[in-house]
This record gives sequence, structure tokens and C-alpha cells, in this order.
Amino acid sequence: MIITLILLIASLILSIVFVYMAITERDLLKATAFSAGQSICYATILQAMGAADIAMTYVAVSAGLYSAILVFVISKTERFEEVSSE
Amino acid sequence: MKRVIVLVVLVLIAVVSSVITPLVISIEVPRYLKDLSRYYIINTIKDTASPEAVAAIVWDYRGLDTVYETLVLYLAIVGGLTIFMYTGELARKTPVGLTLLSRTATKIITVLISTVSAAIAFHGHLTPGGGFPGGSALAVATMLIIPVFSINTLLEKGVTSTKLVAIRGVSLTGLGLVALLPVIRGLEIVTNQRFYPGYLDGFILSGSISLYNLLEFLAVASGFTAVALYLSIPEEYYKGGDNA
Amino acid sequence: MLEEFTFTLLISVLAINFLISIYGIVYRRSLTKKLISLTILSDTVFVAIILAGLIYTYPIVPPVYSDMQGGEAEFLATHASDPLPQALVLTGIVIGLATNSLIAFGIIQTYRLTGTIDARKAVKTLLEEGAEY
Repeated sequence: MIITLILLIASLILSIVFVYMAITERDLLKATAFSAGQSICYATILQAMGAADIAMTYVAVSAGLYSAILVFVISKTERFEEVSSE
Repeated sequence: MKRVIVLVVLVLIAVVSSVITPLVISIEVPRYLKDLSRYYIINTIKDTASPEAVAAIVWDYRGLDTVYETLVLYLAIVGGLTIFMYTGELARKTPVGLTLLSRTATKIITVLISTVSAAIAFHGHLTPGGGFPGGSALAVATMLIIPVFSINTLLEKGVTSTKLVAIRGVSLTGLGLVALLPVIRGLEIVTNQRFYPGYLDGFILSGSISLYNLLEFLAVASGFTAVALYLSIPEEYYKGGDNA
Repeated sequence: MLEEFTFTLLISVLAINFLISIYGIVYRRSLTKKLISLTILSDTVFVAIILAGLIYTYPIVPPVYSDMQGGEAEFLATHASDPLPQALVLTGIVIGLATNSLIAFGIIQTYRLTGTIDARKAVKTLLEEGAEY
């Protein structure tokens, strides 16, 4: 019980860090990597909640397929987000 | 530096508010299931012959929802592939991939991922998993092959987008047929236990749930593999360069 | 005490992540960054749906029987996680992936037509070329 709750708390705090880094990062490839880290955190949260089916789907979809699609998109477009000039 | 300060403030807000809130107002954490969920868990074996309550809800109790959501899946991917339609021939270059070490490692890992994804999908009515996670895991294996071995290797092995779209169409048609077949005996569509056998010669089939999982596995895996193939075609081909 | 703390922490963390991703969708100019924020937003909403079925009983197990006799019904009725939100989210994740890959195709097409993935510049370029707004 203690271990489950501590795992839950740790991955919750870590998920804020990853989400914030993913959204404020200028380099889109790094942002994709942070986004994958966020999905691992969420998968841990889901597993701690007892939702094994979702955790399994989640790792495959969110850490695997989303990252691959985003890397393809970045390789076809631009890697860096433009600095706002206002 | 400014980013770190904002981040620390956000984490502090989350932690401090969750320390203070239980002290100020009394919070009752939920300890019992709702009656509807309890019904699903207790009756899943009797109603659907599937020991997995989530698969039973996805494909039996709420089966009609899932069948229509599969239609959304079909239309979304078809929409994307229509934008990226490429009818010309890809130039037959010699495949350029990464080094021998990463190729060998990728070969081993790809076989492992494919096996695991098949196990996830075909045991979906017995253990956690099912057609959706299994198909996504198989698509991850193909997405691993494309950067390491280059797309030409995949095309030479006969994995073309036309074939993938065909597999997808066939399996989704099969899914619709499995859902519609009970109508010929006057039952509702997406009927499970009153039409399909739950057990066959000692094997647990859970009626139509295993069929749905198999077809959904094929549909999801081929759909996302087709997406990966189209995304990995180099941009020069679309611009009508000398290769196209 | 620890249970109440995790429960409120779950809610507050999900709220903060929701707000950060809303910021990303609205204020960030790159379309790819908007797509990343959208995936984070949908992930947060899915976890929030699972949170609606969270129960605090230990050990908490997935709602799966280990045999076909149904002898564990009493144990699972008190110790299993809620299967209904899980079933709703399971399809939602894959449908979200399909629609987001459609958005990814749209971003690449925008880049082909306008030469930029900056949302405001792309609209400006399209308007200059005579597109109906």
C-alpha cells in the first residue's frame, strides 16, 4: 500500500515537470522526448490505479506511436519553434 | 532560469494545496465500487464467457459503441492517407540503413515485439490487453524497422501501402459482418452469447470477443503501418522532382 | 492521511497539467507544439476519467478472473478497479491516435502549401494567396 502510494506521488510530481518542459521547450525534438517521458509517468499512474489494460495500451500508443509520428512530422517540417518577435 | 522558477512554483502549488486541503475540509476517499461496475465484474463470466471484465464491456456490454468508434478510426486514417496519396513509383535505390550492430539488434527486438503483440491480441479475452494494444504494439515494430532499415527494404519485402489498406478494409468488413450476423436469426446486432459459442472443444473463445480482437488487431496494425509508410516517403517525391 | 493527500494531489496535478497544455494550445505558435499540447491534454483527460473509477482498497487488482469457475467474485467485487471507465478510455486512446495522425498529415500539408508551421504566418500566407477565410 505504501509503495503504491509513493509510486503514485513520485510519478505525479514528475509528470508536472515533464509536461512543463515539453510545452516550454523551443527544440521540438526535445519536446517530443519530454512528451514521451510524460506518457511513461502517466502509464505508471494508471498502473498504480489498477488499470492494467490502459497502462499497456498507453505505453504502446503514447510513448511509441505518438513519438514516431511527431519525429516524422518534425523531419518533414521545421525543428525549431520560432522565437516570437513581438 | 525563469523556467525553473515557474516549474518549482507549479510543483509547490500542487503539493501545498494537497497538504492543506485535507486539513481544511474533510475528504472521503472512494472505497467501494459503484453498483453498475460491481454488476459487470460479478456477471462477466456468466453473461459473456470472458473472465476479463474490460474486454467484456468493450466488445459485449457496450459493443455497439466500440463498433461505431471503429468506424471513426477507419475514417480518420482514410482521411490522412487521402491527403498523402502517392501514386508514382518509388525509385529502387539500394537500401541504406544504419550500422550492422543496430540492424541485428533491431531484428531481434522486432521479432520479440511482434510475438508479444500477437500474444496481447489473441489472449485479449483472457488477460489484460486486446485488439487495440496488440495492434498498436505491432505498428511500433514497423515504425522501428523504417528508420533503421529504410523504407525500400520494407517495400521489397512486399509490405506496400496498397496491401495494407486492403488488409484493413477486409478486416473492418469482417468486423462489421461479425456484428451484423446475429440479425439473420432475429437477434439484435452485436449479440454475443446467444449466437456465438463461448467454448469450442475445451478452448475458451468467449463468443465473438476473440473474433473482434483478432480483426481489430489486424485493422489497427495495418492502419498505423500504412500511416508510417506514407509519413516516411521522402518529401522530394511529392514535389514532382526528377524521381517522381 | 497519505490517502487523502494522494487523492487531492491527483486532482491538483491533473488540473495543473490541463492548464499548462491549454496554454500550449492557445499561446504557442508552432503547429507541431500545438499537436504535442493536444496529445498531453487528451492524456490528462483520459487519466481524469480513470480517476472517476478509482477506489482505495489494497491490494488493488485488474478486474480479471484467473479461472472460469468464478470463485473469486467476492474478492474482485471489493478489490478490483472499476472496469467501465477503462473500457471507455481504451477505445478513446486509439481513436485519439487516429485523429491526431490526421492532424499530423494536415500540419505537413500546411507546411507544403505555405512553407511555415507558424500558425499566424501560415494564415497570413494563405490569405495573401487569395484563400477564402
